[in-house]
Formats: sequence, structure tokens, C-alpha cells
Amino acid sequence: MPEIFINGVAVEAREGATVLETALEHGFYIPYFCWHKNLSVAGNCRLCMVEVEAESGGWMDIACNMPATKGLRVLTDSDKVKARRKTMLELVLKNHPVDCGVCDKAGECMLQDYHYTYNGAPSVSTVPKVRATKFHELSKRILLDNERCVLCSRCVRFTREISKSHALGIVDRGDHSLVRCDELRSLDDDPYSDNVVDICPVGALLSRSFLYKSRVWYLDATPSVCPGCSRGCNVDLWHRKREWKLNALDPRHNACIERVTPRDNAEVNGPWICNTGRDLAKFLERPRALVPMQKGREADLTSAIAAARALIDAAKHPVALVSSWGSNEELAAFKAALGTRFRTIVKPDRLAEPGERIEDDILIRADKNPNTRAAVELFGDATVALDEGTDLVLVWGDGFDFARLPRHAKTILLCAFVAPENGHADVFFPVSVQSERAGHYTNFEGKVSAFSPCFPRPPKVVDAETLFGRLGTPVAARSGAAA
Amino acid sequence: MPGRQLLMTFPVTATSHTLADYRARGGYGTLDMVLRTMKPEQVTKEVAASGILGHGGAAFPAGRKWQVVHLDDGQPHYLCANADEGEPGTFKDRWILENAPHLLVESMAIAAYALQVRNAFVYIRGEFDLPYRRLAGAIDEAYDAGLLGPNILGTGFALDLVAHRGAGSYVCGEASGLLTSLEGRKGYPRNRPPRLTVRGLYQRPTVVNNVETLSNLAGIVAMGAEEFKKIGTAKSPGTQLVSISGHVNRPGVYELEFGYPVAKFIYEDCGGVLGGAKLKCIVPGGISTKVLTAPEIEPVTYDHASFQKAGSGLGSGGMIVIAEGTCMVRLLQVMLRFYHHESCGQCTPCREGMGWMHQIIDRIVGGDGRPGDIDRLIQISEANDGTTICGMGDAAGYATVGILAKYRDEFEYFVEHKRSRFDGRLEVPVHA
Amino acid sequence: MKHLIPEFERIKARYPAGRESSLVLPCLRRIQEDRGFVADSDVDDLVAWLGVPRIQVEEVLSYYTQFRRKPIGRWHVQACRNVSCSMRGAERMIDHLARRLGVRPGETTADGRFTLSTVECLGSCGTAPVVVVNETYHEDMSAEKLDRLLEGLK
Repeated sequence: MPEIFINGVAVEAREGATVLETALEHGFYIPYFCWHKNLSVAGNCRLCMVEVEAESGGWMDIACNMPATKGLRVLTDSDKVKARRKTMLELVLKNHPVDCGVCDKAGECMLQDYHYTYNGAPSVSTVPKVRATKFHELSKRILLDNERCVLCSRCVRFTREISKSHALGIVDRGDHSLVRCDELRSLDDDPYSDNVVDICPVGALLSRSFLYKSRVWYLDATPSVCPGCSRGCNVDLWHRKREWKLNALDPRHNACIERVTPRDNAEVNGPWICNTGRDLAKFLERPRALVPMQKGREADLTSAIAAARALIDAAKHPVALVSSWGSNEELAAFKAALGTRFRTIVKPDRLAEPGERIEDDILIRADKNPNTRAAVELFGDATVALDEGTDLVLVWGDGFDFARLPRHAKTILLCAFVAPENGHADVFFPVSVQSERAGHYTNFEGKVSAFSPCFPRPPKVVDAETLFGRLGTPVAARSGAAA
Repeated sequence: MPGRQLLMTFPVTATSHTLADYRARGGYGTLDMVLRTMKPEQVTKEVAASGILGHGGAAFPAGRKWQVVHLDDGQPHYLCANADEGEPGTFKDRWILENAPHLLVESMAIAAYALQVRNAFVYIRGEFDLPYRRLAGAIDEAYDAGLLGPNILGTGFALDLVAHRGAGSYVCGEASGLLTSLEGRKGYPRNRPPRLTVRGLYQRPTVVNNVETLSNLAGIVAMGAEEFKKIGTAKSPGTQLVSISGHVNRPGVYELEFGYPVAKFIYEDCGGVLGGAKLKCIVPGGISTKVLTAPEIEPVTYDHASFQKAGSGLGSGGMIVIAEGTCMVRLLQVMLRFYHHESCGQCTPCREGMGWMHQIIDRIVGGDGRPGDIDRLIQISEANDGTTICGMGDAAGYATVGILAKYRDEFEYFVEHKRSRFDGRLEVPVHA
Repeated sequence: MKHLIPEFERIKARYPAGRESSLVLPCLRRIQEDRGFVADSDVDDLVAWLGVPRIQVEEVLSYYTQFRRKPIGRWHVQACRNVSCSMRGAERMIDHLARRLGVRPGETTADGRFTLSTVECLGSCGTAPVVVVNETYHEDMSAEKLDRLLEGLK
């Protein structure tokens, strides 16, 4: 482990590390655009230049490509370095359109942040800016503003090295270079395309679905786990901050997912997610089932629970299909309360949609459910067999084909979303979704990730975890307790 | 003749580029001798001992470059001749390609043997059509005669040589940009480390040498390093092919022995300034070197040390003669337009800076120059000095500050009076 | 492009094995010599034969000045406008060309005969001013020599 000196401080560098990596790991910040810890070194922005002290006179060079060799002495904040950084930022500013007032990236833009920290002066240029395409449709999901682009090539390297779609490149040359998608529009077919929006250091690459939705400083990010497949990518769900709620508008505006971004977890997904994860709001924000029902008629919770318990007590061959979207906690609660009573089968709530990538060696898994592993560990992986003897079926979650229901079986349904079958069930319970409670999923490799609540549960909706406890209290214990 | 000659030693005729003529001059005798009697390390030792410096512009000792390549490291090595010759004012490698292509082929075979190279390339700029056809013809002749291919001269040494054409990009003359282009991509130069001799073409150890540097090797190995060092000066052994153009009576390619007086070369060998005009200044070695005024070149001899002392460099050997009355503002405008056109666009200082400088000088020449413009040109040049991925940014900066250092008054005049102090033309002024 | 494949195979044989990517420039040049420009279908065919990403070929076509994706005039008149040529009259000559052909640099004459371009240093400074027509260098040019040259190009 070579020892180098940063601003006079001795630090241990990892074998093979660069000066930039070493500096960041030890709390010395060096600004950069083109470097990214998960991509190859491009060394084109020239912003990370540092000063090397040497008896022969010293020099300046980029830190992202500088091996941290034993005894190296670098300065990251000398006057020379400060002047160099300011110059580089001036050069970026020469053609940058300064669209901040209308640019989605404002508030989380590396150029903005660096400008105020390291430059702080208006542009010194007295010649017109180079004009380029704005609102270029890079793909159906992504817009590109070439004027804002600083040609760091992060997006291009991403499609070469991570998603391997090779969709993006830089055409032409000089100051009329342009990031472009290939003419086959391969970015439309790249299920990881939206990651380039995260890694773009400026507001050049923009998500169409988030365009102009909200300023980022009005939003909070709540950690969650994508339920799109058994990878369980860690994500951030962005939603309006409570103190910035919009009073004048429909309250749903204050309790919806504005966008989804990856939450870096080296053990699971790194800093990436696939586009299904970006769109996970479409799973969680379908029309909700809001009230308990008995045979389609609204019932109060207590009566519904009583009716359900009666059905459970009376059943001779009850079968339960548990949700592979249930959290570790919910599944454990089911096992404890009802596991011995029901023959329990793990149900895949979701199958791949037409056109959805099944599996690859990047992130996407064929099992399109987040918690199959935990469920199978509790209940085994037998497949469902509903015969004429089955007299009670409890279905928790989506994905059950009700045509397979034995004709005379009673049904208890737990679902978060509106569905025609909800009204036919003997007892129906509306349950919460993951954004309304805390919990954990176990991914296909056994790695456990946590999600936190960010929205209130609708008033008559129940948490499945609590509900199972109330459905399964033993009869003997009941008789002595209050009704 | 400007000193002793090593390369331009035969009259150029309609057939002097052919294998038959080359053999009649003793060609391929050295390759034969090397393959039969020398070990690869001995060849490299001779090249290093000769002290020959690169003739492409960087003047790096060729032998030292070769010695980075570890023989027997179990991986393929590559050799590439840089025939991209794009530096304005330079056309001397073209002379070798058109008139002595076999000299290059034989020298490359010797170099390939020394470096354990199985595949070698000549990267030749796309515009050089006749030079390419001459070279490709020579390569075909060599293959037919068993001088290239799987079993050269029956010795078992195998080498494939490809003449690979570029397609119009000045930065493909930069060694790493050249290799990236050879790999089938845009000619984007690369950051170092790693050096190309460690990871170059296809990430393998690669030696890139200028055409003229390589073409000297057959002679060096034949005569031996000691004999070679008797020619030229102590620090600059041998000769340099110099292309001279501009306001000069006898432009063309000349071979100068290092140490030859520059003023004598211009005024005597090349016939002096066009139209009998007075010399204003010269661009010594391609536009990326700093101009030297007429008084400044008086004591200068054609070698690296003398030019460095004068505050410039030999560069690519492309000398441009500039007569009194030429507008230096317009001249710089042509240069900055060139650099702007050729910037590959990878790195911030060059990509933004070249366009910026071009826009400023266009504004000055258009009569709309502002106070602060001249200092801004200097500031942008400094912002490109030692900050870029390749040397083009620095080069544009040197051209600019070099001209501004000596002719700032012309720029100030242009800004103040909205026109050139001279009539603005770049041709030799016609005297009434 | 497919009829060129036997030729491409011969070119490929002299390159190291497994380095098909290097063939992008030589193949594009040959395609352009054959057709006069590189068509979209040529790009498809080349990508399929070489196995490189399509974006790589698109980038190369856009970056190098000698490649074109649209046809041009029968005679591509390219005049150097760099330092030595400008110092020997290139600017006047380019004006003369533009007036005589009735087009600006970058344009093609209405009859499809000539396309005029200005280019950077061609490595022929000693015989400036230089004009390249298609592949051929015409050196030591003057307005009169240009007129004679153009007349001879049908």
C-alpha cells in the first residue's frame, strides 16, 4: 500500500489506485466531470488537475489518471491549482448556455456547484456561444440538450461498458462534437438507458417523464427497494417535501413518486437500476382498493375480520397463495399466524411483460418479484394445486388466475389495487403498498435491503402484517378475550 | 548542398522508387546482413548509440523509446511509421514515400526484427494519393521478392507490413491518435500513462516513429553508430530533411546536415526571399513552433540546441519563409482557423479554446477588435499549455504567443484602426 | 458493398488476426471509391461483416473530412487555404474558382460537374498553391492553369 502525501498529509493509497481515488477516499475533494467510479478513465474534462511537488520543479496533471506511487506529493488546493480550476471552468462556461432558470438539473448540477465554489464570476467571453441542438430526442425516454453538454463522455462509456448497448457515441469533432444515439435508435431498446440521466454532470440528458415536474429542492428522497424483479435494486423514491406541499392542487400531487433514482449499493446493484425500476410508480400507483368488502359490499374492518376468521375456522382444506411482493416482516407474520392452518404456496405476483427483457448478466432477473426468496424459505417452492377438495382460498397480492378457483371454494382476498375479483371475494381486505410502511426484501442472492415509508396509508387500508395477526389468533385464546 | 547527405543521395528519376533501382543502389543489403549476423538487441543498441532523435517534431531519442519494449514478454509488439505528415509547412516525409519507399520498407523490417514485431504498419494520411500508391507498390514488390512475408530472405523472420490510409484528421499525426485511428475509431489521442511502448495499438507495446526517423535506420546499422555520429552535431547527430516554402525563391525539400547555418540555407541554398523582398521572420518547423525574426536567425544553426537557445524548436522540419509586409494578424488567423478545424473535441481547453481564439481573431480581422482581445488570446494559449490530452492545444498556444511576443504592435494597430497595418494580404507585397 | 468482400478479405489477411475493427477506415474508403459516397446500406453491410457497433462506423464517417454520406459532383475540386498556400495566392485563387464555378465552398455546380471545397494543409507547401481534384494533386497552380484544368474536366 503506497504512502503518498496530499497537501502534506500522509495517506495510504490502495494498490493500483489513482491520486483522485485516494484523495476522495481520504476526504480531500477534487472536482471532476468525466471521472466516475464505475466507468473507465476518460481524462477529458481536465478539471481534476493537481499540482505535483518534485525537486525537479514539479508539474500539474490530471489526478484521475495519475497513479498513486510511493512518495508522491500532491497539492489539491494550492493557488496554482485554484487558478487552473477557475480557468477550466471559464472554458466550460464559454459555450455553456446557462439555462439554469429552465433546466431540470438546477440544484443538483455539478457545473452549478463547481461554478459557485471554484469560479464565481460571470463568463469572460466576448464572442457568441456555439449553438447546438436543444430538445433532441435521444430516445423515447431521454431528451438531450447539446448546448449544455460538456462532452464528458460518461453516457457514451456507460453504454459501452455497463449496459453494453453501444447505443451512444460522439459524432463530428471539435466544438461542434455532438453526443448522438446510433441511427438504429438502439437507446430505445437499452433497458438501462435512464442511468445516463443520473450520471450526466449537467442538465444535458433529461428524463422525459420527469421533465419540468418539480424543482429538486422541493423534493425528498426516501430509500426503498425496487419490486420489479428479484435483484431488489436499492432505489430512492423522490416525492414532495412535507413543508413544500402544494395546497392549491389535488392532494395526490403531494403524495406521489416524482421520480426514481438508484441508491448505490455495491452488494446489490451498484449505482444503477433498469428502466422498469425508473417506472416503478406504475406498479405502486395503480388505482387503489380503499375499503374492506364482503361480497362486494363495503364492510367495516372488524366485521370483515370476524367473517374471515369464521371462514378460516370452518375450512377443511384451506390453501393460501402468498404474495412474493410481501415483505420479510409480512411473510413472517403470515407464517406465525396462519402458516400451520393453510397449505401455503408462494405466488409469483408478476410475470415479464411483452417486450420486457427476461434476464441478463447485468441486473435484470427473470423472477419479476422482489421477495420470492424469503417467501420460499418460509413456505417452500411447491406449485399450487387447487382441486375440488379445496374449500377456502386466501389470495394475497396480484397475479392469480381466478379461473382456476374451485367452484365451491370460499375466498379471502388481500390486494392493494382495484380489480374486478375484489368484489366477488367473500371477504376482501385493501392492503398497504411498500411506500406506506417500513420493511425488508431478500433478493435472489439472499441480500436483505430495507425500504422506508414516504406516504400515509389511506385511512381504511390495512397493513397485511397486522392483519395476519388478527386473522390468526388461536380460538382458545380468543374465547377469554374481549370481542 | 547544405552539408553531407544521407538520404537524398541519388537522382530522382521515373524509376528511382522501384525495387530494381533501390537494389542497384545497394538496397536490402543491410537487412540481409542484420537478419543473418545480428541479434535484435544488437540492432537496438546501435540505434540507441547513434543518438538519433525523432524527426516528427518531439525529438525524442529513438533508441530510448525502443528500449522500453521488453523482448520475450510473451505478447505481440507493433511497429508503426507515422506518415500522417499534417503539420502545415511540412512535406518532407512525402519525399521519402514517393521517391525512396523501399528505404522505409527495409528500415522498418530492420526495426521490426529488433523489436520482435510480427505486424507493422505505415499510417499514411488519406490525402497522400501518389505517395500511398508508390508505397503500396513498393510493399507489393517486397512481398513478391521475399523481402516481406512469412520467411524473409529465407531466414525464417516473418513480417507483415500494411500501408494503412487515414481519412483527413491532423491529430492522427499524434502517435496515440494515430493508433486509435488504426484501431478503426475516431483519431482521439490518449492520456499517458500508460506510454504507448507499454500499451499502444490494441493495448500492446507499440513503437511509433516518424517516417524519416525510420528511414535513417538502414544507414545507421550499415555504417555503424560511430560513423553516424560524425555527421551533424554532438546533440543532433545526422541530418534532417527540411521542407521550405512560403516567400522563398526555391521552395522544396532539402537535406541539411545538423549544424548547418540557417541564414546561409535560406539566402543561398534556397535563393533568398521571393521577389527580392526582405525577410521578416520564419516559422521554423511547422506552424506549431515559435516564429523567429530575421535578426534572430542570423546566429542560428540547424540543430536542436541552437533553436532552443533562440527560443524556438526544429519541430517537424517544415520551414516557412515570411517576407516583410506580410500581415501577421492575418497569418495567425489562418493558423487559428486550422487549429479550430482540427481539434478532435475531447478535452475542454482545446475544444473550447480553439474556437474561442478563432472567433476572437476573426473579429479583429473583421474590424471589430476590442481592447482585451490580445490578452485574452494569450490567456487562452496559457490555458492550453500543459493542460491538454495531446500537444495540439499547446501547439496552438505556442504559435499564438510566439507571434504576439514579436508582433504585438500589428495586432494593437488592427484593433485600434480596424484594419491591417499592411494591406492585409499574405502574398509577397508587389512593389510598384 | 457485398461485391467488395473478396477484396476486403485480402486486405484483412495482412492485419493481425481478430482485429477486424482496424478495417473500418480501409473498407469505408474502398466503398466510397466504388460508389462515390457511403450509403446507409453500406454502413449496415459493413457493420454486419465486421461485427463492430454501428455507432462506431457512424462516428468515423462524421469525424474524418474525407468521408461523405451523400454524393457530390463528378469532380471534387479541393483548394488548400492553409499558411503557405495562402502566402502564394490561394485566397485569390479560391475566389477565382468560386466565381468561375458559380458556387461557394461546400457547394456543387447545378450541372453536377464540380464540387468546390476548401481544405487544410495537403503536405504540398513547396509547390503552393495546390488544388486536389478527386485524388490528384495539381501543384504550382494559378488562375490560368486552373481555367485550363477545369476546361479539360468533362
